[in-house]
Amino acid sequence: MKRILLAEDDEILRMLIVDTLEDEDCQVDEAVDGLEALGLLQEGQYDLVIIDYMMPAYSGLEVIEQVRQEGINTNVAILMLSAKSQLSEQEKAIGAGADYFIAKPFSPLELLDKVRDILDEKNKIQ
Amino acid sequence: MKKIKFNKNSLARRYIYLMSLFIAAFLFLAAILLYSFYDLNQDYTSKNEELEKKERIVQEISEAFDQAFMDVRGYIAYGNKELKEKALKKEPEIRELSRQFAETASDYQDQEFLNHIEIFTDYYFVSTLPKSLANYENDNLEAVKETANGGATYRINSIKTEINGYNRELNKQIDANFQELTKMQTYVQIAFVSFILVFLIVLLRITRMMFSEIAKPLASFASAADEIASGKEAVIEVDDERNDELGVLSVAFNRMVASIQENEQDLLAQNEELMAQQDELHAQQLELQEALEIVKGNEEKLNSRNELINKIANSLDKQEVLESVVMNMCPIIGAEKGIIAFINDDSYASYGISPDGVKQFRSNLWFSDITESLMVERKPLLVKREAADNEKGFHTKQLFSYDLFLPIFLSGKKLVAVMAFSRSNSPFDSKKMDEYEALAKNIGIALDKINLYQKSEESRRLNQDILNTIQEGVQLVNAEGEIIQVNKKFCELFGCPDKIRQMGGCSWDEWTGLLARHISNPGEFIDFLREEISSLEPLNSSDRQYIYKGSSGQVFKVYCEGLYDGNTKLGTIFVHRNITKEFEVDRIKSEFVSTVSHELRTPLASILGFTELIMTRELKPDRQKKYLSTIYSEAGRLTALINDFLDIQRMEAGNQCYESKQVELLPTIQKVIELQKVHSDKHKLILEVVGGSNTIIGDREKLEQAFTNLVHNAIKYSPDGGEVRISLFEKDQMVNIEVKDEGLGIPPEAIDKVFEKFYRVDNSDRRSIGGTGLGLAIVKEIINVHNGEISVESQYGKGSTFIISLPLQAASLAMRE
Repeated sequence: MKRILLAEDDEILRMLIVDTLEDEDCQVDEAVDGLEALGLLQEGQYDLVIIDYMMPAYSGLEVIEQVRQEGINTNVAILMLSAKSQLSEQEKAIGAGADYFIAKPFSPLELLDKVRDILDEKNKIQ
Repeated sequence: MKKIKFNKNSLARRYIYLMSLFIAAFLFLAAILLYSFYDLNQDYTSKNEELEKKERIVQEISEAFDQAFMDVRGYIAYGNKELKEKALKKEPEIRELSRQFAETASDYQDQEFLNHIEIFTDYYFVSTLPKSLANYENDNLEAVKETANGGATYRINSIKTEINGYNRELNKQIDANFQELTKMQTYVQIAFVSFILVFLIVLLRITRMMFSEIAKPLASFASAADEIASGKEAVIEVDDERNDELGVLSVAFNRMVASIQENEQDLLAQNEELMAQQDELHAQQLELQEALEIVKGNEEKLNSRNELINKIANSLDKQEVLESVVMNMCPIIGAEKGIIAFINDDSYASYGISPDGVKQFRSNLWFSDITESLMVERKPLLVKREAADNEKGFHTKQLFSYDLFLPIFLSGKKLVAVMAFSRSNSPFDSKKMDEYEALAKNIGIALDKINLYQKSEESRRLNQDILNTIQEGVQLVNAEGEIIQVNKKFCELFGCPDKIRQMGGCSWDEWTGLLARHISNPGEFIDFLREEISSLEPLNSSDRQYIYKGSSGQVFKVYCEGLYDGNTKLGTIFVHRNITKEFEVDRIKSEFVSTVSHELRTPLASILGFTELIMTRELKPDRQKKYLSTIYSEAGRLTALINDFLDIQRMEAGNQCYESKQVELLPTIQKVIELQKVHSDKHKLILEVVGGSNTIIGDREKLEQAFTNLVHNAIKYSPDGGEVRISLFEKDQMVNIEVKDEGLGIPPEAIDKVFEKFYRVDNSDRRSIGGTGLGLAIVKEIINVHNGEISVESQYGKGSTFIISLPLQAASLAMRE
C-alpha cells in the first residue's frame, strides 16, 4: 500500500482531497502546516507528498527545499498545489524540487488521475 | 763761535744742549751732596767707635785695678791664697789693656794718661805689692799697714780719680762728636734746599725762554692763520732774521699767504663762472620740471583712462561701472564735476554734485533741449554759460563755466544715458571731442554688455528656478562627463542641498564619487552613466532607464536623454526620480493581489471540487448533504471575503460613504451581542455599562460592523469558550468600548501587526480558525474615520483586550467647529 502525505492548511480542502482519494489503495496522512509536514516526512517513508504552497509555519516551498537539500525521503514524488497560478510561481516550485504542479482551483478528478499516474510510475520503477 | 751759530740755527739742538747741561749739573751737585752726607756719617761713626773703644779699655783697666785691690785686701784679710793668685794675674791683663790703649791713643792727653797708668802699674805690681805680700806672709802686718798708709793708698785713690776723670773726658768727647754731626747735617740740609731753589729758578728761566722763543711766535702764526682763513690781511710778528725753524716757518708762511691770495683770486673768478652756469642749469631744470608735470598730467589721464577701460571691460556690475565712468572721466577731460544718468531708469552716478543738483538734472533729463539736441545731433555738446555764484568762489568779476554733454547710445542707436561735465574759467579742449566721443562709445558698448549679461543672468536664473521646481533630480552632463547644471532636487537626493552652484563644473570623478556614497551598488550604475554619456546614437528613451537603490534603502529610477545640436551630441540629461513610494506601493499591490488571489481561490477550489465530486460520483445522501452544506458555507465565506475585500478597497480609496448622524452606542452594541450569541453556546457574552453619555456622531452601520468584527474575533479566537466581557464607559470626553476575551491571546511580536491588512497571527493554535486577515484592518479604518483610537492589550495564552475610544457628540462637534 502506497503512503501519501497531504499538507494543506485549509480544513475543507483537506477533506476534499482525502475524499477524492478514498477509493484508492493508499494511506493518506494529513499535516496542517509546513512544520508538521516536515516532521512526518522525517519520521516515515512516503511515496507522494501533496503540498500546498501557502501554509503557516513553513511554506510549501520551504518544506520542498529542505526535503530535497537534506535528502529526506529521497525518492518521494512531490506534487505542489498553489493558488498562485503564474508561470513564475510554477517555475519556482519546480526549481525548489517539486515534480508536479497543480493550480487552485483544481478538478478533483484531474488530481486523482495525476496521483494514479505518479503511483503507477513508482510501481514501474520498482 | 761756531757752536753758538750751530745752536742758533736749530731750536731743537739748542734745547737738547741746554737740557743736557742742566741734567749734568743736577747730577753732579746731587752726587757731591750725597757724598758729603755719606762722608760726614762715616767720619762720625769712626770717631765715635774710637772713643767708645777707649772708654771701654779704660773701664776694663779701672775694673782690673779694682779687682786686684779687692783681691789683695781679701787675701790680706782672710789669707785666701786663691785671691792672691787672682790679684797677681791682673798684672798681665792690665799690661795687655795698656798696650791696646796705646794703639788707640791719638793725642797728647791720651799719651799722658797711658804713661800714668803704666807708671802706676809698675809701682803697684813691681814695687809695692810684692813687698806688701812678703810682709804679710811674714806676718809683718805693721809693714803692710805702713806701706799702705805710707802713700800706697793715696796713689791708688789718685789713679782711680784720674781714670774717672779721663772717663768723663771721653764721654764729653763723644757728646761733642755727636753735636758736631748734628751741626754738619744741618749744613748739608741747608745746602740741599738751596740747591733745589737754584734748580727751580734755572728751570723757570728755561721755561720763560722757551715761551718767548717758541710759544709766542707759534701763537702769532695761529692768529695769522686765523686772520687769513677769515680772509683778512695777516701780520706775523716773528723776527725774519731768525735762522732757526721758526724763522724758516715764518718765511714759508709768508710765501704760503702770498700763494693763497693768488689762488683765491683765481677761485673767485672761477666761482663767478660757475654761478653763471648754475643759473643756466636752474633755468633748464625749471623747463624740465614743467615738461615733467605735463607728462605726469598726461600719465594721470592715461591711468584714469586705463582704469576706466579696465573697469568697463571687466565689471558686470552696472552701478560699479557708472561710478567708475564718472570718477575717471572727470580727470580725463579735466572737469571739476560730472554726472552720468540714464534717461529711462533710475541708474546714475555723480562726482562733485550736490544731491539737489543730481535730482534736478535727472528730473529734467527727459524733456530738456539738450537731450533732444543730443538725440538729433548724436554729437558731444559744448555749452558756455556765466558761472553760478557757488562756482565763482572768491572771484567777483564775471566768470564763465563750460558744460560738456556726451550722449551714450545703446547698440549704437538708442540714446539711453547722458553724461554731463562742467569746469570753470577755461573751455574744454575742443580738439579732443573725437576722443571723448570714442570714450562715450566705449561706455555704451560696456553698458550693452552689462545689459546682455543681466538678461542672460535673468534667464539663467529663470531656467534654474524652473528646474528647481521639478520634483525630480535633473542633471545635465557634457560629453566629457562634467556637470553643466543640476537642480535643487538633484542636490537634495545626493545629500548636498546647498551646493547647486558648486555642482556646476563638477568633474566626472567628483560627482560620481559623491553619488557612489549614496548608492548601494554604485559600480554597475556608474557604468550605465558612463555608457549613456559616451553613446552618440540617439536611442529610444524607454530603453535608457535604470533603477538603483540608495544606501538608505531608497529606490531611484534614472532616465536620460541626449542633447543634440544637429547631429552633434552636446551632452546628456539625467533625470533621477525617487520611486521608493511607487516601488513600495507596487510591492504591496502585488502582494495584495497574490494574497487575495490565494484567499479567493481556496474556497473556490472547495466549491468547485465538491461540486465536481457530487456531479461525477455516486454518493450516499448524507455525503451529498455534507458536501452541499460545505459548498454553501464556502460560498458564504467567499462572499464575506469579497465583501471585506471590497470594503477595505473602498475605505482605502476614500470612496466609502459614511453617514454623519447621532448614534447611541449602547443599543448598537446590545444588538451586536444578540446577533453574536447565536453563533456559540460555549461563550458567555457579558455587557457592562458604567454609565455616562454614549452618544456620538457617526455611521451606525459601520460602527455596528466594527463591533461585530471585534466580538466575532473574541469568540473565534477563544475556541475553548469562556467569558467575552464588553464594557462601555465614558472617560475624558470619550466613549470607551472594551472587548475582553479569555482566548488564545496574541504573541508580543505580533501585537503591532494585527491591524495590518491580511496579517494573521501565525501559529498552530489558530490554524483551524479561518479568516481573511481583513477584519481588524476594517475596524481600524472605521474607528479612524470616526476620529477615534483603537489599541490592543494581550497576554499570550490568556486572552486579549481591544479598546476603542470615540469622541462624544459634544467633543466631536467642538472638533468640527
